Amino acid sequence: MAETLRRVLSRGSAAWSGEAVTVEAGSPLLLLGVPASGKTALLFAAALEAAGEGRGPVLFLTRRPLQSLPRGVGAALDPRRLQKVRFQYPPSTRELLRLLCSAHEAPGPAPSLLLLDGLEEYLADEPGPQEAVYLAALLLDTAAHFSRRLGPGRDCGLMVALQTQEEADSGDALQLALLQRYFPAQCWLQPDAPVPREHGVRACLEPGGLGPRTEWWVTFQPNGEMMTTPWPTRAGDFSSAEGSSSRAHP
Amino acid sequence: MLDCAMAVALPAVVEELLSEMAAAVQESARIPDEHLLSLKFVFGSSAVQALDLVDRQSITLISSPSGRRVYQVLGSSGKTYTCLASCHYCSCPAFAFSVLRKSDSLLCKHLLAIYLSQVTRTCQQLNVSDKQLTDILLTEKKQEA
Repeated sequence: MAETLRRVLSRGSAAWSGEAVTVEAGSPLLLLGVPASGKTALLFAAALEAAGEGRGPVLFLTRRPLQSLPRGVGAALDPRRLQKVRFQYPPSTRELLRLLCSAHEAPGPAPSLLLLDGLEEYLADEPGPQEAVYLAALLLDTAAHFSRRLGPGRDCGLMVALQTQEEADSGDALQLALLQRYFPAQCWLQPDAPVPREHGVRACLEPGGLGPRTEWWVTFQPNGEMMTTPWPTRAGDFSSAEGSSSRAHP
Repeated sequence: MLDCAMAVALPAVVEELLSEMAAAVQESARIPDEHLLSLKFVFGSSAVQALDLVDRQSITLISSPSGRRVYQVLGSSGKTYTCLASCHYCSCPAFAFSVLRKSDSLLCKHLLAIYLSQVTRTCQQLNVSDKQLTDILLTEKKQEA
């Protein structure tokens, strides 16, 4: 799953020059970050990226409809891509579990990517560690079922966003450690400020297994532009990033 | 033979042992003694209990026409545990405590029994409707609550 996110994050950088597009879904990925660190924007960008790969539809689960277009997706917002993203809004953990448990009853083509935004809201309903693990395991099981329906050589990816607290207590740490067992790939979004006047996050992608760790510097401009540069940034890289960044409403 | 997604959560050494066992079983229709010893070495008393579950044919693979599958294991106490076929999850208390919370064991006896029944091909098969499979997965949730 890290590959889709890598493409999203590399779109605006010089380091990326149209590498071979892999169809391998890769390990389930957990997208972690404090509030307002851009998790939904990245998840949405990943949905549009996957929808443009000529594969099956994308299933996007979140507790409530998005109030506005996430930051930084303007230029990528091709209506044909958006049409392939199916949004579903399970209002409670019980409804989310029902949706996952009955996913094999849903008609139509199997999704090639399963996304869940705001896992922390569902976990808040069911605070025990075993409940968290059952939910994680069911997400994996649902994606595995979609993969089987897609047929040989095609997998359904899984990417889940979880909000972390700046000051985590021991319960949170245990829950995160348990979830990480089910999501070998992780992407951390950390607000950071190497250049004081810019507001941005550092995105650190660990694809799981022996894959290399990659980092980007992601900034959201006042006009909604999302810009990414490989981290650590060399002096000349900012200019090359600007040309390919996208425009959207903030 | 082994569900590939399931192997995600297994250390390479265990995966290797299981595939060696699978090859040996295919050749001689039994698990060689040295493999049983390795199993005991890695999993301790769970290995014996898991083999006992396999012997008693306590493992059932439940499938629906959709292709979705789930395992159920009839424990020695008479209680049935549900294990997700595609990843590493069992509804038993030992899994919650030793495997998840304390991290001092790799698998509970039920998950190990599933792997072993895949190796020895002694899994019971049961076909249910798509709706029934949904209910099995949802009931699993209720048991825990």
